[in-house]
Amino acid sequence: MKAFLAAFGVAIVLAGAAGAQAYHRFWANCNYDAPTFMTTMTRDAAQGYANAARYEGYQWGGGCWNYDDADSYPYDAPGDPSTHGEGGDCSGLAFKTWRESTDDWRDGRYYWRALRNVHGPYTAGDFKNGFGAPNHVVAKSSAGVMDAFASSTHIGLIFFRSLYGGDQIVEAKCEACGTNIFYRTYRSDPSYGGVARWGWTG
Amino acid sequence: MRRPGIRSLAGGAAGIVVGVIGGIAVTSSSVASGPTPAVPVLDAVHVSPLLTRPGEPVTLRYAIVCAPRDDGQPCEGSGSVYVRAGQTGLFRQLRLKRGAESRQGRYYAELPSEIASSRDGFSYYAVLRDGTGGVATTLPAGGEAAPQRSFPLGDATEVDLGVHAFGADRAPDKRVVAAPWGSEPGEAGLAGSRELGFGGPSSFDVAPDGTVAVLDQVNGRVEFWSHGGVKATNVGVSGGLADFALEPGGTMHVLEPPSRTSPAPVLRSFRGDGSPRWAQRLSDRTWAKLAVGPAGPIVQQQPSEQWLPVVGRGAVFSRGAQAAGGRPGRPFANGREVLVERVGAGELRLAELAGNEVRRSWRIASVTALGEVQLAEPYGDRLVVVMKTYTDDRSDYAALMLDRGGVAAEFAVESLEWAESAPLARFRLAGSSLYRLGSTRTGLFVDRFDLEVSR
Repeated sequence: MKAFLAAFGVAIVLAGAAGAQAYHRFWANCNYDAPTFMTTMTRDAAQGYANAARYEGYQWGGGCWNYDDADSYPYDAPGDPSTHGEGGDCSGLAFKTWRESTDDWRDGRYYWRALRNVHGPYTAGDFKNGFGAPNHVVAKSSAGVMDAFASSTHIGLIFFRSLYGGDQIVEAKCEACGTNIFYRTYRSDPSYGGVARWGWTG
Repeated sequence: MRRPGIRSLAGGAAGIVVGVIGGIAVTSSSVASGPTPAVPVLDAVHVSPLLTRPGEPVTLRYAIVCAPRDDGQPCEGSGSVYVRAGQTGLFRQLRLKRGAESRQGRYYAELPSEIASSRDGFSYYAVLRDGTGGVATTLPAGGEAAPQRSFPLGDATEVDLGVHAFGADRAPDKRVVAAPWGSEPGEAGLAGSRELGFGGPSSFDVAPDGTVAVLDQVNGRVEFWSHGGVKATNVGVSGGLADFALEPGGTMHVLEPPSRTSPAPVLRSFRGDGSPRWAQRLSDRTWAKLAVGPAGPIVQQQPSEQWLPVVGRGAVFSRGAQAAGGRPGRPFANGREVLVERVGAGELRLAELAGNEVRRSWRIASVTALGEVQLAEPYGDRLVVVMKTYTDDRSDYAALMLDRGGVAAEFAVESLEWAESAPLARFRLAGSSLYRLGSTRTGLFVDRFDLEVSR
C-alpha cells in the first residue's frame, strides 16, 4: 500500500506538471470558427466588446481571450508570439473590435468572438497609414468614440473623451500593462495619427 | 536497502497508472472547462457640461457599456438622470432616451431650460442599467452625495489665441536635471523597446526649496536633484507609468496604473526614507492626474470625471468615502477650486470656484486644435494654464498667465517627449517657476521657466 501511495503521489504530480505545460499554451483553449458576417456595427457594441477584453492580458501577435477577468499567463516573455498566452496585442484588439476581415481587400463586418484566435493582417503601423479596405486616416482633432490613435508601434481605441482634453483609451499595450482603459494623450502626440473604421451603423 | 517484493512492485505500478490517469483527469478537466466566463461589470461614460454659456442648451449624454452580446448587437440599456437646479435640494428624475447614434453616447436627456439656465448652475447623477434587469451602476459613484456639478460660465473673460505659430518656443531659464538613460545614480531608467515604444521616468515634483524629485519607476526609486547633487531613495512600485506627488514634509505618493496582476489603480504612500505608509485602491477604474490638495492626495478620475480625495481627516478613505467626496474642480490651499473643461477641437473653459460660486472664469478659443490641459493653478492673482496645441504632425505647449483682463503673459514650450510619461505629469508650478519634464533619445531632463522675468 505504501508503494502504491508513493507511486501515485509522484505520478499525479508529474502528470499535473505535464498538463500545466500544455495548459500554458492558452491557445489550446481557442478556436478557429468562421466569423459571423454582420450587416450592423455600432460604436457602443464595440465599446462593450473592447471593454470585456479588459483584464484578459496581452499577447504579442495574439487575439484570443476568455472572460474570466484575469490574464492566465501574465509573465510571458514580451515580444515572443510563441508563448501563446492569453489576450490580444494592440493591433489584434483593434482588428477584432473593428470586426475586420483577414483579407485586407474586404471591408465587410465580421464578428469574431473572444475565444476565436485571430490577430488579423495589420500592424499598428498599417493602421496608422490607413492600410486595408476597412480603414482610413482621420484628423486627430475629429477622432471620436471607437476611432483610434496609432503610431508605428502601437494603436489604442478611443473609449471616450475626457474633461482635461486627454482620452480614455482601451488598449493592449504591453505584457505588463495587460488590456485595460488608460488615460492617454495620444491625440496631441505627433508620433500618433488618427485612424478609423469605415462602416459604423450607429 | 531491502529488495522489493512482488506485492510492492505491483502496488507501485498500480499507483503510477492510477496517478497518471488521475493527474491527466484533473488537468484535462481544467482545460476543458476553462475559467468560467464572467460577466464584465457594467461600465458607463459621461462627460459633464462643467461650465455652460448663457442660453446654451444642455443635453446630458451617456454611453452604457454592457457585456458583449453573442449576436454582436449593442445592449438595450436604460436609465434615469436625477437632476436639480442649483447645488442643493431635491433631485428630479428624467428618464434617458435611447438614440440611434452612439458616437457621443446613445442615451440622453435634454435638460429643461429652467434647470439648464439656472443662475446657480445645476447638479445631477445617473442610475444606468444594462437592459437585462439585473445590473445597475450609478454615475458618478458618489450619487446624490457627490453629484456632477455644472456652473454658469457667467461673464467670462474671452481669449482668442488665433493660429498657433510653431517654432517660436521659449528657451528654458535653466536645465535643472539632465540624466542619461541607465540605472546608475544620476541616470534615469528607460523601459521598452523600439518595437513596443519606450517609457522613461513617468512623473516628477518640486520641493519648496527647489529640489526636483523624479520618479524613476523603472529602477524603483525616486531621485532627488538639487544643487548638492543627486540622491536616490528606493520605493516599492510596479514599474508602470505612474504619477507622483511630493508633500512639503517629504511624504511621497505614487499613483500606479492598472497592471497585468492588479487590474485596478492603486495609490501608494511612502515616507521620506522610502518605507511604505499605506496603499489604497482608487474609487474609479481610470485616473488622469494626481495632486496634493489641502487635506492630502487627490486624484482626477474616470468615469466620474471628478477630483476625489484619497485621504481626509487623517484617515485613508475607502472607495466609497472617496466617491462621496468628489468635486468638479481641483481644490487649492486658497480655498478655491479650479474647473477645467476642454470643449470641441479648440475651446477651453476655466473657472475659479469659491464654495459653489464662480468667482472668475475664462473662455479660450484657438484656431489650432487644443489638446490636454497639463496644468491649471492659481499663481498670485493670476491663473497659470499649460495646454497642448497641435496639428496632426506637430505640437507645442502653450503656457498662459491669465488675469481678469485676459492673457497677462504667454509663451510656448517645445514638446520634447521621446519617452512616454504619465499623461498629465509633464509640468509642475513651484514658487515662481514652471518646471517641465522632457526626454530625448539620449536621456531625461527637467527645465525651469521663471515666470517673473519680463520679456
